Amino acid sequence: MTATDSANEALYPIAVLIDELRNEDVQLRLNSVKKLSTIALALGVERTRTELIPFLTDTIYDEDEVLLTLAEQLGTFIPLVGGDQFAHVLLPPLESLATVEETVVRDKAVESLRKLAASHSPADLEAHFVPLVRRLANGDWFTSRTSACGLFSVCYERVGAAVKQQLRQHFSNLCTDDTPMVRRAAAGKIGELAQVVEPEFVRSELLPMFKQLMADEQDSVRLLAVESAVILARLLGPEDTDKLMMKSLRSAVDDKSWRVRYMVADKLTELQSALGAELTQRYLVEAFQALLKDPEAEVRAVSASKVRDFCVNLEASEAERTNIALNSILPAVKDLAGDANQHVKSALASVVMGLSPLLGKEHTVEQLLPLFLTQLKDECPEVRLNIISNLEAVNSVIGIKQLSMSLLPAIVELAEDSKWRVRLAIIQYMPLLASQLGSQFFDEKLNQLCMGWLVDHVFAIREAAVLNLRKLVEAFGSDWALSTVIPKVAELAVDTNYLHRMVCLFCVTELNSACPPDMVRAHLLPIVLKMASDTVPNVRFKVAQTLQQLAASFDAEVFEQQVKPCLDSLAGDADIDVQFFACEALEAIREKF
Amino acid sequence: MSVVKKAFEGSGKKAQAAAQDSPAKADRLDPFRNKNEIKSKKQKRSQGSSHYRPKAPTELTPLPLLKDAASGDQLDLFVKKMQQCCVVFDFSDPVSDLKSKEVKRTCLNELVDFVTVTRGVLQDATYPEIVRMIACNIFRTLPLSDNVDFDPEEDDPTLEASWPHLQFVYEFFLRVLESPDFQPSVAKKYIDQRFVLQLLELFDSEDPRERDFLKTVLHRIYGKFLGLRAFIRKQINNIFLRFIYETEMFNGVGELLEILGSIINGFALPLKAEHKQFLVKVLMPLHKAKSLGMFHAQLAYCVVQFLEKDSSLTEQVVLGLLKFWPRTVSSKEIMFLGEIEEILDVIEPAQFEKIMRPLFKQIAKSVSSSHFQVAERSLFYWNNEYIMSLVEENNEVLMPILFPALYRISREHWNQTIVALVYNVLKGFMEMNTKLFDDLTNAYKAERQKERKRDKDRDDLLRKFDELAIK
Repeated sequence: MTATDSANEALYPIAVLIDELRNEDVQLRLNSVKKLSTIALALGVERTRTELIPFLTDTIYDEDEVLLTLAEQLGTFIPLVGGDQFAHVLLPPLESLATVEETVVRDKAVESLRKLAASHSPADLEAHFVPLVRRLANGDWFTSRTSACGLFSVCYERVGAAVKQQLRQHFSNLCTDDTPMVRRAAAGKIGELAQVVEPEFVRSELLPMFKQLMADEQDSVRLLAVESAVILARLLGPEDTDKLMMKSLRSAVDDKSWRVRYMVADKLTELQSALGAELTQRYLVEAFQALLKDPEAEVRAVSASKVRDFCVNLEASEAERTNIALNSILPAVKDLAGDANQHVKSALASVVMGLSPLLGKEHTVEQLLPLFLTQLKDECPEVRLNIISNLEAVNSVIGIKQLSMSLLPAIVELAEDSKWRVRLAIIQYMPLLASQLGSQFFDEKLNQLCMGWLVDHVFAIREAAVLNLRKLVEAFGSDWALSTVIPKVAELAVDTNYLHRMVCLFCVTELNSACPPDMVRAHLLPIVLKMASDTVPNVRFKVAQTLQQLAASFDAEVFEQQVKPCLDSLAGDADIDVQFFACEALEAIREKF
Repeated sequence: MSVVKKAFEGSGKKAQAAAQDSPAKADRLDPFRNKNEIKSKKQKRSQGSSHYRPKAPTELTPLPLLKDAASGDQLDLFVKKMQQCCVVFDFSDPVSDLKSKEVKRTCLNELVDFVTVTRGVLQDATYPEIVRMIACNIFRTLPLSDNVDFDPEEDDPTLEASWPHLQFVYEFFLRVLESPDFQPSVAKKYIDQRFVLQLLELFDSEDPRERDFLKTVLHRIYGKFLGLRAFIRKQINNIFLRFIYETEMFNGVGELLEILGSIINGFALPLKAEHKQFLVKVLMPLHKAKSLGMFHAQLAYCVVQFLEKDSSLTEQVVLGLLKFWPRTVSSKEIMFLGEIEEILDVIEPAQFEKIMRPLFKQIAKSVSSSHFQVAERSLFYWNNEYIMSLVEENNEVLMPILFPALYRISREHWNQTIVALVYNVLKGFMEMNTKLFDDLTNAYKAERQKERKRDKDRDDLLRKFDELAIK
């Protein structure tokens, strides 16, 4: 066979695949497009540039799904067309893709274009990329103008001053576009652009655009501008922000649309760090107070979730910080604890404990403790749960004892909540509570709950209860296990419900790793061996599995005398699964000795 | 926007989950309560509007009745009442300001009657007061739906809590617009683009009563303010595009389409490029929406209106539908099939010939659907005499497209009704063109074998190709 023949033969599947790009069946076209890089590799860089890419550019009218894959692939195509100096040949197909209707395709095309921009030389940017941005920015239909918004920041830095000026002009036009879709895109990208634009133009040109967007008639535009405000404020520095931007920002705090106020609240801590200590105290503290009292529950909720971070980020002396937190923030926080909306209370409960390290012991006892106690009695389980899950923070300041009397009823109630997810959540906090409350308190009050969960009617709870048991034993030691846990486990072994007997075996497996080997041998092994004659096959094969797990805790002698006879009899069981697991266990243990 | 939307959804969901949590001890016994029971608990919830009122409303004192006022003082009193009604109340708290709320309700009620029966109320001086009162009350940022997975077809909508007031305000607005004294030339200073823009945003209200009022209001405004027409159309465009490409959530699509239906009806011929663009770039992509079921009837009506105006648009419309043809949602596919039938009902034979090949390839697929309602809906075409006459005229082209699918179904479909229907169709084909029918039957096996071979070849190729790729 000659060299050309074999080359042709290699290209034959390629030809077919290219043919498949035109197949009627979408799935087949999709398969082909996914293999585009291989096609390009086989064709070589030259033919990819001169044949494949133009072909793709021409056949771009297709199903969105195919286009999406195409847009994604083209972003990684630079090596396949011959390296960076040829990156620009990939622009035409992506330009068309950036104008299609479907958002996901457009976004992907923009993403790929942004990747390609970095590989263009400054000359190529001006010759190929910038004209593309210009064409998109002047497109008839809003889709191309929307796409254009995301491309300015990636080419601006590396082009000449005259081109830069043009680019700024185009972006400015997009900020005043008459479709809100484009203005939204511009509002979302103006911050990113500001990061690469020279400071003097940020002040003289971008800032006026930003103010206009902040005053847009549509709230969907304004709220996106709020996001960009953080970046702009950071770039300008506190002094200029105060002079140039503060008015816009303050109007956003007081915007008549709650969605804008929501956004401000959501970005508050970021704004705080961008504005610096002085402006924060001059404006943001007051703004935050207003947001915490907002008429709209959504706004209050997101504000409530920022309470801790806002106070932590206050850049002031400790005394001053405590002062602001106590006198400005705390009164509003107290109101929120009695809010009508559960979501607000729950958001507050998830962060409010974090205030106690800031306020110190005295204030925590005086101011916060009553708040925690109210929330621990809240009718909504999520609120109580959030408080309990954050106990650590308070514990480090005042110790948990102060709370224990109120904690208990709350815990008991959550432990019996009708939603198993709530029960699950509280179980997960048990080890923490146990270590903080000590074994005596635990034995008196919580032990029974933990044992109760072992026979819950939801498997996930039983499973979590078993794990919890191990963690408790790790915390309280094996003596505690012997006196408290093992009797309960032994009880489960003879329960009439086979599911409970299964739980017994789960417990043994888990405790095995937490107890010393002699205790396992003396107390756990006998329980398991006795269960080998259970009437339910599931229990019997679980016995086999458990014995395998326990192997680390006994020696050859115990194996020969006690375990092996048991497994041997299970290996001859009538049930095929029991046989299987018994044999498996025997083999595994034998390997060990 | 999508990030924001998610943020909102996330928090909403939590709130909702929390709301469900509290009172249910009973379900410990039976964690699998039926869906209806859960749903019924959520029903009839109403929600407060998001008026931004940083200050608490002042207490209202009742003003004297208009009919008791001397005719010279009536207008003054009317304006005073207007101003009084600008105060908005918090309805999320059912017990706050009870007295003032009642004062305002009575006052609004009186105003509605007053503008209906009294002439000469609408004067240069009263327009700004009237529009201000309406704007104060109805314009607000709509609350977040408290049910994020809100399914408009299944779930009951959240009703507007301030409806006792809002209803009268809308009623009043309509009476003003419909009053014989109403002068658009004066009112246009106040009912301007900004006003209309805010009005359009309200169509997202979850409360169907409010959307119904809005529909009539907007229709009246469109009818009376010629200068706002183009603007209204453009903004509706923007709302639809945002719905299709950004949020997928907007409750008032159906109502807006209903208005558009009658607007399209009034378009002059030949159609302007702007209107054609609207059809192709906005109405067709609307078919993509998940919630198509909520507004499909209105949408199909608009599309058919366009085709009745200008039949040359048929090809674009049908190809558009084929592009957005649902692949997984059978209920949507049934709607598409219905819309196609409506289009075929008004199609001209020349246009039919342009689209029949791609269209009937799709119909062959729908007929073969394993979902029997889809199959059944497409087979219903054969009950349509006009469609049948078109098929008969073009049987040389269409029979070869349809035959393999029909033949296969007649032997393989699980549903006996479908098989029976397909038998009838095949019988019809046989009578239509016996020779072609026989040829197709004889060729069927060979075609199937060829097809299988093609599939196999393709698989082989792909495998070879993968080997190549590995190298």
